[in-house]
Amino acid sequence: MKRISMHLLGLVLISMLSGCGYNTMQANEEAVIAAWGNVESSYQRRNDLIPNLVEVVKGYAKHEADTLKAVTEARAKVGSMQLSKEVINDPAALTKFQQNQGELSSALSRLMVVVEKYPDLKANQNFLDLQKQLEGTENRINVARERYNKSVQVFNTSIRTFPNSMTNSMLLHLKRKEPFKAEEGAKAVPKVKF
Amino acid sequence: MRFYAYKLLLLFIILLTSLTQTAAALEAPPLKGRINDYAGMLSPTAARSLEQKLAAFERETTNQVVLLTIPSLEGDVIESFAIRVADAWKIGQKDKSNGVILILAKKERKIRIEVGTGLQGVLPDITAGQIIRNVIAPGLRSGNPDQAVSAGLGAIIDATKGEFKATPTDKKATRKKKSSGYGLFIVLLLAGIVITAVAGSSSRTAGVLAGGVSLPVAAGIGLGAVLWKLGILALLGGAAGLLISLLMRLFNAGGGGGGYGGGWGGPTIFYGGGGGGSSSSDDSFSGGGGDFDGGGSSDDW
Repeated sequence: MKRISMHLLGLVLISMLSGCGYNTMQANEEAVIAAWGNVESSYQRRNDLIPNLVEVVKGYAKHEADTLKAVTEARAKVGSMQLSKEVINDPAALTKFQQNQGELSSALSRLMVVVEKYPDLKANQNFLDLQKQLEGTENRINVARERYNKSVQVFNTSIRTFPNSMTNSMLLHLKRKEPFKAEEGAKAVPKVKF
Repeated sequence: MRFYAYKLLLLFIILLTSLTQTAAALEAPPLKGRINDYAGMLSPTAARSLEQKLAAFERETTNQVVLLTIPSLEGDVIESFAIRVADAWKIGQKDKSNGVILILAKKERKIRIEVGTGLQGVLPDITAGQIIRNVIAPGLRSGNPDQAVSAGLGAIIDATKGEFKATPTDKKATRKKKSSGYGLFIVLLLAGIVITAVAGSSSRTAGVLAGGVSLPVAAGIGLGAVLWKLGILALLGGAAGLLISLLMRLFNAGGGGGGYGGGWGGPTIFYGGGGGGSSSSDDSFSGGGGDFDGGGSSDDW
């Protein structure tokens, strides 16, 4: 008898949980984490491309040591960041992340402007391919960021609206997540025309 | 409580309007089929045969490849428009994400190949870029959209089979050769095949006769073949006529069978009424739920 009533109590609790948004909020947070994973991996993809790019450009544009150095340094700075799931719960860490990646973006776009001066480099098949990959990666980053922001918006809304807000303040204690802010110059990522 | 609801509604409206404003973007047009030629760049014949080609490719591999042409981007960026289209159409199967969308913006002269996450291994950004640069852009530049789109979609299909080679020169060379002297011959031959097929479906002898006459006539007019060769061609034509007649019988009886002469790209449409298998525009097409991450490539023409 006691066991049956325990089961009943459990059932009632579960139905209450689904009614108060407990599961929704959990699912939304998972969606944010997954979206963040894509953001991170698309940035990582860009990081992996850079050494090859720098190597190819170096062969043709020896006078652009400063520009190349800026790219390498910005990449190193990005690489030294300790990234974890915690970034999405920490607005300061996210701002730092965005700032460092932004610096790398602008260093790269400066590099892409500089290479305009080297027709031999622009004719190099290897370089053209790398450039296509870089373009594709930048686009993936944009898409991943947009999707991350959307999932954050859904999540933030779900923890703030009633009755979820009550469940959250009593049980889950989930914090608002920070979306990416549009950065000045973010639209000017390497977009090189030949 | 009422006041709270009001505020929420207001907030919602503000959010919504701000969203649409920041997007300031062109909406994805409805998915009509595999060929969505909103800019009217293709001839109806080419559109129909491409539709069939892509349908056949999907039957064979479950990969979904679609084309979208739009008159103008209206100030939007092709990359962000493309991902919006991809999200709306969900081309590709759900578990495989094996969809590809080729997008052409007529006014801005922009090309983009948007590749689903499941096909980025066989169709990486580099390959997509090469297809645009070496196959599609030159064709569009020379003012032949039918050929450019057809070759481009063909290259995408080849790439997914691991067969695409970035050698634009080959394609041009074979194309030239074909059109140099054989054009008339091929047209006459096709006409001959149609006549033979029509005759052959009524009786076998009529088919043999039609074949025996039409092949030498086509060769004689089109290629200026020498007289003694015409006899051999008549025999050959007769044999072909017999074969076609038999095939037509099969067609009429069973209704199945792959489109006869599908390799030509063009003539398939003549047989559209013959069997039940070749209709494509009326079977409704929709995306299978494929996922895109912004991979692919874009360029100008």
